[in-house]
Amino acid sequence: MKQSAELPGLISRVALGDRAAFDTLYRHSSAHLLGVILRIQSNRAQAEDVLQEVYINVWRAAQSFNPALSQASTWLVSIARHRAIDSLRRKQTEVNTISSIVSKAGLDEEDTHDLLDHIADDAPGPQEQLERAAEARALQHCMQSLSTEQKNSLALAYYQGLSHTEVAEQMGHPLGSVKSWVRRGMQALKTCLERAAQAVS
Amino acid sequence: MDYSRQPLADRLAADYVMGTLRGPAHRRFETLLLAHPALRAAVQDWQARLGVLSADITPVEPSPQVWAGIQQRLFGSPASAKADVDTFSRWWQKLALWQSWAALATVAAVALGVLLQQPLPVQPPIVVIMQSTDPALQQASDAIKTQFVASISGDGRSLVLKPISGAKVTAQQALELWALPAHGKPPRSLGLIASDKATTVLRTSLLQGNDGFAVSVEPSGGSPTGAPTGPVISVGKLQL
Repeated sequence: MKQSAELPGLISRVALGDRAAFDTLYRHSSAHLLGVILRIQSNRAQAEDVLQEVYINVWRAAQSFNPALSQASTWLVSIARHRAIDSLRRKQTEVNTISSIVSKAGLDEEDTHDLLDHIADDAPGPQEQLERAAEARALQHCMQSLSTEQKNSLALAYYQGLSHTEVAEQMGHPLGSVKSWVRRGMQALKTCLERAAQAVS
Repeated sequence: MDYSRQPLADRLAADYVMGTLRGPAHRRFETLLLAHPALRAAVQDWQARLGVLSADITPVEPSPQVWAGIQQRLFGSPASAKADVDTFSRWWQKLALWQSWAALATVAAVALGVLLQQPLPVQPPIVVIMQSTDPALQQASDAIKTQFVASISGDGRSLVLKPISGAKVTAQQALELWALPAHGKPPRSLGLIASDKATTVLRTSLLQGNDGFAVSVEPSGGSPTGAPTGPVISVGKLQL
């Protein structure tokens, strides 16, 4: 997302009904959000409908954004993700196949399942980018502590917006195992990230 | 269910942020989020933890129709207003061609005019004056005691809260608005409000089963328990 330092200011102006700020916010963030939505809702026309709903949501809910509590980009991305997931539920589309991750992300066959490849690299840059890179490294480090099944099920759920049942179908494993991989994987990530945060401070 | 219980809140929030909470549970959770600061906090924690996963996604430029559609839906674009005028004048031209229809058209126009005069059945908004609970002010006039004015739309779906004398809060504090249900049931959070400007609250039903509204001082981010934890500084009763 371009110039993410400007985003919180733009969102608070949008909360006051500033249409020029809304226009700028759209130009700075819409391409990134469409990328996020397309990972989950691969139908381009439907993804653009979702994007429209996202910004209508942003216009109406901008007041609920609190810069002290969440990063502007995280806030926008989470609205996009949830509306995209909603659109899957409304229109029970065909479940995406694993190959669609490959084509979309352009990964090699053997890396298809590797969540690590989706993580931001630690390119040098302004303060925020450095912080983000540090977060990415911590997450990358923590991901390595997960089992392959945990990693794969988290990747399918997060990047493709698949439900537990759909992840189970994709991986060819029982629903119960998938549920516990996701749950334990999340728990392990949380514990590991908290430990990493403590080590820094 | 007690959503302020930490492990439950955390598990639901993890499922929600991951995207595995689906169907009615997904919708129900989004409604619960509005009322439970503990759940919101858990969701924000998870979003912060996983946010970096979405940082590197390849951007895709949307087609220009998306922005046009947003403008149209939110503000109604000038293009559509022009289309209406066009339709109208074409209709008028046809009518002019058929002179014999003129008399009928006049009748129709008058009838339409009469119809348009009828007011639409709009319920008037309801105004609630919220007065300070400060004991030092209890003898003061109503004008001095008035801290906030809440205007609720007649259909009970939106509320605008305007600070009048306002309330001072420190950077570590926030003001939270509560609905006070009838029969002394526990207050329901309507979210954080600004101390210095109007706040709009949208809900499906702000009037039904409600006795009034209250404002409390909470730690920034809102009450951690889902019930008011700080002093209630302002209260207003709903008089229907």
